[in-house]
Amino acid sequence: MNKLFSCLILLVILLSLPLATHARGANIEINTPAITKLKQSMQQRHGQLASHYASGAIGLTGDGLIAMRDANVLPLAQRQPVNALIAAENQDRNALYQEIASANNHPEWEKDIRATFSQRWISLAKSGWWYQAANGAWAKK
Amino acid sequence: MMRNLLIGILLVTIMLGYSAFAANSRVSLSIDDIHSPVFNVKEIRASLSGQQLSQLEFRVGEIAVQEKIWRNVKLSCTKFQLTDRLIGCSGGRIHLSNSAPLAVEFHLNLYENVLEIEIKPTANESWRFSLHWNENYWRNTLTIANGQAVHVVQWLPDMETMPVPGKGRVNGNVKISGNMDGIARVAAELLIDDLAFSDRNGLRAGENVNMTINWSAEHSSRNNQWQWQSEINWLAGEIFWQPLFFSDGGYSLNLTGVLSENNINLNNGKIVLHDIGELDFSGVLARPGNNLIDFNLHATSLELSTLFDQILRPFLRSTAFSEMNVIGRGSFAWRYHQGENKSFVLDLHDVSLADRRERFAFYRVNAHIPWQANSATIADISILSGQVLRVPLGAVRVPLEINQSELRIPQLVLPVLDGKLKLENFIASQQDKNWHWQFNGELLPVSMEKLTRALQIQQMHGTISGVIPKVSYVNSIVAVDGTLLFKIFDGMVTANNLKLIEPLGLVPHLAVDLAMKNLDLDLLTRTFSFGNIQGRIDMEMQNLELAGWQPVKFDAKLSSSAGSYPRRISQAAVQNISALGGASAVAAIQRSFLRFFEEFSYSEIGWQCFLRNNVCRMDGIEPASILVKFESKGYVIVKGGGIPAITVIGYNRNVGWQELINRLKRITQGNDPVIQ
Repeated sequence: MNKLFSCLILLVILLSLPLATHARGANIEINTPAITKLKQSMQQRHGQLASHYASGAIGLTGDGLIAMRDANVLPLAQRQPVNALIAAENQDRNALYQEIASANNHPEWEKDIRATFSQRWISLAKSGWWYQAANGAWAKK
Repeated sequence: MMRNLLIGILLVTIMLGYSAFAANSRVSLSIDDIHSPVFNVKEIRASLSGQQLSQLEFRVGEIAVQEKIWRNVKLSCTKFQLTDRLIGCSGGRIHLSNSAPLAVEFHLNLYENVLEIEIKPTANESWRFSLHWNENYWRNTLTIANGQAVHVVQWLPDMETMPVPGKGRVNGNVKISGNMDGIARVAAELLIDDLAFSDRNGLRAGENVNMTINWSAEHSSRNNQWQWQSEINWLAGEIFWQPLFFSDGGYSLNLTGVLSENNINLNNGKIVLHDIGELDFSGVLARPGNNLIDFNLHATSLELSTLFDQILRPFLRSTAFSEMNVIGRGSFAWRYHQGENKSFVLDLHDVSLADRRERFAFYRVNAHIPWQANSATIADISILSGQVLRVPLGAVRVPLEINQSELRIPQLVLPVLDGKLKLENFIASQQDKNWHWQFNGELLPVSMEKLTRALQIQQMHGTISGVIPKVSYVNSIVAVDGTLLFKIFDGMVTANNLKLIEPLGLVPHLAVDLAMKNLDLDLLTRTFSFGNIQGRIDMEMQNLELAGWQPVKFDAKLSSSAGSYPRRISQAAVQNISALGGASAVAAIQRSFLRFFEEFSYSEIGWQCFLRNNVCRMDGIEPASILVKFESKGYVIVKGGGIPAITVIGYNRNVGWQELINRLKRITQGNDPVIQ
């Protein structure tokens, strides 16, 4: 429970951090009702994802998304539901990056905002979580 | 060739054996290399020793078959028998590379032309190989009893995506027979129990799988063809094959075919899917590339709920259809000929589709949708009812014209609540793998009361109707080309530059410029329980942007319409406007009049709100300083005129959007107004 709680706090911290982007002047802290809704959706889902980050089933990808890294650690019947969780999380993340760019009146900044988030997700990941290094290979933090 | 080599080596051994036959003598044989196109063997060492040369030691440094290599292969026999007609080994053990030794026996009877080899890795497990031959005919049989599937691993290529068995039990036999021209018949009957397999990443894996495999093929030397038939039944167990998961058995594949030099013909193919139905297929593949040339696939009365849940939904996870429930039955037939799609026919029987997030639903859909590559067709689609974005739709029959990759509906009248949506000239086409569509039409009067109830928003009265100019959908954007006109609150609303981006996406975006003219304030204020105001207003709402149906930006400007009409405002309305404006107030000099009169006169109403970053920056008709001395900060919202007159001044310039909404809710829900 404590683990879950600390993961949630981590996520909240990350989502509320002011981040610097390559797109000079982008306000990643910007909030709109749609961004708030997406963040809430991700925070709610994080409780279900945290144990899979820790087990190594799911890893953080280099493009600010998540992916199934090693399905072997999951019972067979859980692999498809975890796939569905990953797909839903990635839909939210893609929408979040796009919404932040749009709220800054620069939809074309989406790529830079995604890259910044990707770096932050990895830098704030807990020890033992897996992430995709610059060369595309999986690495354990 | 291999058989000839073996016999040659055995003859050498026999000869050596005869020449040195004596108690406790020893005979050795060494061969450095044997090369063939199929295999290579290095460092062969054989020796016979013991009483009457009854102990055999046979070692091979390396055996390479194709890309597979075994090193340090050892065979030892404690009871080796060698006569002019018989070679036998009992109590033998074989070591393959570093694996545990396996018990082995073999007997070669040159009198009866029989070779039998039996390997018993464990007491209950047996892999028995027999070979019978004569001058014209030979027959191999591999009989497996409780064979462990894990032994197969070493024969499989070492690939990341190759599923390899972790456990499982095999029973059955494989028979291969032929003549001097080669193999004439192959047959396998196998029962596999408790099979577990997985690739390296666990994306193609199975557990507790029980299945039967019956496969046979016969060679016809007359036309040099193989005729084969197969039957695979998956009886039980779980299989995850990214992204699909099947938790139960009840699946089977039956197929017959012909393999010739140029083609592979698939005939009488049948796939049975548990709780879904049966699919029949046939086809032709061209060799050597195995390219599909012809294919016919058809299925009748498939159970669509399980078909969608088990097979289609996993592939639609990132689309608007991922949260759709489907019930009903469907049939289809697909014909692919000479490398091209030729026809596809889809029939739906009492099918209902409903999105769990209530974005769309269509109930009791019956349809016959034919598509032909080289001719136009007409589909017949009937829908009993439905809803789009919670707006209910009535029964409709869709006369869909299909011409290759273009769809047309010349005219369609779609019941919407108590009104109708007339669609005309609907055209949809596929360009660069994306669908584009467009139409124009008309909305015939729809009750606002019913519409607002369906949309679960503040109830309004009156009707909505209007002309719909060209509407198009390109690159996930619905755009209205022209001005959308509709009537509401006895006034006219025009919508320009309307764009709806990803309407069924996670965060739909709407952009539009609205202009409302001559709205009846009496109707409007009664609708919203705002107190009563008589008069008419115009409202401009430029640059309106909604994200996820929530406003993120607009420039709103409300002002009294030009013209002559009664201009009265009730005490409750004055108080509510004051509350809406936050720390606003009725001009101090007039505040004391409030309690004496139920109604006041005004000459003009004006209010502005520029929404940016969740903050509404407000303004009014003019600065309050023009009307009232010493009022340097306020702005006039209601300008008095007539008797008794009242002026309302707002002081709050910036209000959080959510705070403004909360104030509106408090007011329109009939709570006591708050005067600050």
